[in-house]
Amino acid sequence: MTAQAPPTPRSSGQAPAGAGRAAAGWSSRTRAAVARPWLLLAPALLVLAVLLLWPLVRVFLFSLQDYGLREITTGEPNWIGLRNYGEILTAPELWTVVLPNTVGFAVLSVAGTVAFGTAVAVLLASLGPFWRTVTSSAIMAAWAMPAVTGTYVWVWIFDADRGVFNDTLMNLGLLDDPTNWFTNRWTFYAIVLLNVIHHGFPFVAVTVLAGLLGVPKEMLEAAEMDGAGAFRRFFSIVVPQLRQVFAVVIILSTIWDFKVFAQVYLMPGGAGSNRSVLNLGVWSYVESFGQNRYGFGSAIAVLLTLLLLVITAVYVRTVLAEEER
Amino acid sequence: MNRTMRRSVAVTTGAVVLAASVAACGSGGEGGGESADSLSVWIMQGTNPDADAFFDEVATAFEEETGATLDVQFVEWGDAHDRFVTSIAGGTTPDVAETGTTWTPEFADAGALAPLDEYVSDAGVTDDLVEGLVEAGTYDEQLYGMPWYAGVRSLVYNTEMFEQAGVEAPTTWDELEDAAAALKEEFPDKVAVAVPGDAEFTVYPWVWGAGGEVATLDGDTWTSHLDSPESQEGIAFWTGLATEGGYSSTGATTWRETDVLDAFAAGDVGMAVMGSWTPGAIVEANADMEGRFAAVPIPGKDGGIAPSVLGGSHLSMFETAQDKDLAWAFLEMMTTGEFAQQWAEQSGYFPGQVSLLDETLASTDPLVAPFAEQFVDGGASVPAAPTYGAVQAKLTTSTMMQSILSGEQDVATASAAAAEEMTKILNGAG
Amino acid sequence: MSARRSTARQVAKGVLVALLLVFTLFPVYWMLNSSLDAQAGHTSSFWPAEPTLEHYTFVLTEGGFGGFLRNSLVVALATVLVSAVLALLASVAVARFRFRLRTQILMLVLIVQMVPLEALVIPLFVQVRDLQLLGTLLGLVVVYVALALPFGIWMLRGFVAAVPVELEEAAYLDGATWGRMFRSVLLPLVAPGLVATSIFSFITAWNEFIFAMTMLGGATESYTVAIGLRSFFGVHSNDWGAIMAASTIITVPVMIFFILVQRRLAAGLTSGAVKA
Repeated sequence: MTAQAPPTPRSSGQAPAGAGRAAAGWSSRTRAAVARPWLLLAPALLVLAVLLLWPLVRVFLFSLQDYGLREITTGEPNWIGLRNYGEILTAPELWTVVLPNTVGFAVLSVAGTVAFGTAVAVLLASLGPFWRTVTSSAIMAAWAMPAVTGTYVWVWIFDADRGVFNDTLMNLGLLDDPTNWFTNRWTFYAIVLLNVIHHGFPFVAVTVLAGLLGVPKEMLEAAEMDGAGAFRRFFSIVVPQLRQVFAVVIILSTIWDFKVFAQVYLMPGGAGSNRSVLNLGVWSYVESFGQNRYGFGSAIAVLLTLLLLVITAVYVRTVLAEEER
Repeated sequence: MNRTMRRSVAVTTGAVVLAASVAACGSGGEGGGESADSLSVWIMQGTNPDADAFFDEVATAFEEETGATLDVQFVEWGDAHDRFVTSIAGGTTPDVAETGTTWTPEFADAGALAPLDEYVSDAGVTDDLVEGLVEAGTYDEQLYGMPWYAGVRSLVYNTEMFEQAGVEAPTTWDELEDAAAALKEEFPDKVAVAVPGDAEFTVYPWVWGAGGEVATLDGDTWTSHLDSPESQEGIAFWTGLATEGGYSSTGATTWRETDVLDAFAAGDVGMAVMGSWTPGAIVEANADMEGRFAAVPIPGKDGGIAPSVLGGSHLSMFETAQDKDLAWAFLEMMTTGEFAQQWAEQSGYFPGQVSLLDETLASTDPLVAPFAEQFVDGGASVPAAPTYGAVQAKLTTSTMMQSILSGEQDVATASAAAAEEMTKILNGAG
Repeated sequence: MSARRSTARQVAKGVLVALLLVFTLFPVYWMLNSSLDAQAGHTSSFWPAEPTLEHYTFVLTEGGFGGFLRNSLVVALATVLVSAVLALLASVAVARFRFRLRTQILMLVLIVQMVPLEALVIPLFVQVRDLQLLGTLLGLVVVYVALALPFGIWMLRGFVAAVPVELEEAAYLDGATWGRMFRSVLLPLVAPGLVATSIFSFITAWNEFIFAMTMLGGATESYTVAIGLRSFFGVHSNDWGAIMAASTIITVPVMIFFILVQRRLAAGLTSGAVKA
């Protein structure tokens, strides 16, 4: 029948005439086929290489130096080897406050954003075209609103003296005196979580929706005829189909939520005066760029990249492994 | 296959390297002040509402005097430090720039600024400069920042609220506390006295007023004295107004100076430590506030005036400036004489030249005179260390204030932690 | 029986949609509300305490947003186009072909996504200066394309990989060249992924501030809306009305862009290539 065969994991795209791995006697067609991936890649690689390769190398080189304003002015290097890394890894607040905040927050926000976004995508997929357009466009507003503005709006809503939240709670009699929600670590991060999920779920919703709309209807109908309920159909058919999409969404959300900066920095007390809410982005900024210690900041960047590599390794392997089959 | 792959990679890499080197060769010739006939200047945005017209005038006068054109760029305060750093890194520094008083020692220490002592003595104004600004602009016993303008923070109060509550402007700490109590009783829903948790410069007057010190230099070592008994007394008084008297608000625990101004302009605050530049901003935010507020120097513990930070800007010359004499001509024009006076008037600040101050000091304007008094009799400076910027970035003082105001730590613990951190950072240890 | 179940279902769906809209739009409403209120930032009322359009007129004239919008539009659209083309080509390469270094390249592309941007500011600034693109919109576009590519490649890779190989082979059997196959078979099916990627590139280029400020420096005539928004955060006090009006103005084009392209989200379903 038609496309009932589940999309096979992409075994190598067998270009016509077979990209033979044998060495001798290539036809020009084979050579063209073999060079094709590189030709396709070339423009993108060129941009990335020219623009980012050297800066990335420089970041690594800075991380091995005590690179401050004086070094920037004179252009003379000041090598100190791995001392920056040592200082970072032995900073007590990194392990007691910064990393726990960052990791805990990332876990919650990725889970929340992906779950909520997926739920919304399912809802959207079940709507008729008109309402789908209206609703998805409305959701876009949350994504389109500048993160800076969004953060300030949430700060207003929870403002201690004039915020809508406190006002409503007091009117309902649930609160006697206005509370400053930003001084307590847990309520502070609850607000940040709200902010980040609100800003981030549209991306997940739109991406998952795109994937959902590509799931062959026949498969779902066949399963329904076999008596599978909605949840069963979702988890047994849709989710596996969307595995790649989910993997990418989770990887990217993890990376972004680990690097959250503005949403914390702009909150009252989030710029460093409240030491219990420091996360990696703010801590890094305050310790390094705020103090003209660019070598230190570069070392943190390198460590963070490695950390993210490790964390996303599981998903990345899922994504890549599927292809090998 | 391998050979083709490698060849493709080699070709691509080669192209990249070629492109990069062609581009690199083509650069150069960048750098501040492209030609001797033009001077590039960076000025901070927002200080003077009439800045554009002002600099048009200056440009004309400058061209008449030197024959060179002026290229003025306005920079936002918030981005300025980053832009300075990237411009130094990329060799695109201006010839002259406005530098905040805490940045001048920092850039001087990095070797980015040119010393001005010779120029100043040749121009004969060495003794005519405001001391606080000179102190802030001196590094390693050389002057790097030309005093341009400064402001000072004093106690600003809502005259209507005071009248209704039947209180007078306080002159001692006891009077201040009584006034706050009376205000709180008359206006239970408003903030009697704003005690912000994230406004560093509003804390130091109380430290100094009680006889304490922020930090002192002994030889080459800095030591912070925020935890000395006197400092603690001052901090305890100021935070006590909030934690014990309840004269502030829960929101104020995380307030910055901008939030204080917002609340004051809305008429919700009885009194607050605010800068001499704020009256204009208050009226602009809320025209109804005009004529309904006044200022008084920050009272010392038993009378007198508590020292308050002279915040302001220098005009500095970059080492990369090609024609330093031309740059000095501009510096002199801006910081002394007619243009300095005009700038100060238009922006609501005090000029950096003492002889120009006399006129301002003679003013009887209730929104100028108290600040002027504070400026002359109660002006102080934060530690003029190149590392002070790092202390500010770490928000050491604000952290202390916030933990006290939120009830997490008591004054003794919080101030001890802050003093320790400040000492460490000032001495460059991280 | 099924009619009643379907009505209940409709009602349930309606309620969910309504709740979703309330949650999503509440902060947006707040932004809009404040932008029309002369007392923005000082009141917490649900309706403008003092309705006015002065914030918008200020932002669009003195605030310079007329020009900023134009600049941002140019930059964003250029970024979308260029990064879409480059990412699509690259993703086809990594998804369809097996070649040496494929995994390494994918990893490299992902690593680029992981590095915190603040660490890259100075080195990237020097690099753009070396390319003589400082202070130009072109330089900014190049930077944004580089920033959007990793995401685009990874995202599109998944979509390309999800297109059954059999469809391609069917096209070849019909005598199509690779190019023809790409245009008629692959492209329509990858369209949803392209849409998602384009939206992301657009938003990245549209809202990005750090690099815009750094690369453009003093070239005020080339400033983007993100830089313009920052200018309302003053030293002494923030002009909340202008900030919210500017933010609203910034939000609208993105939504328009989305509405225009979102129809293609569902394109894959009906391209006709699914059924044999």
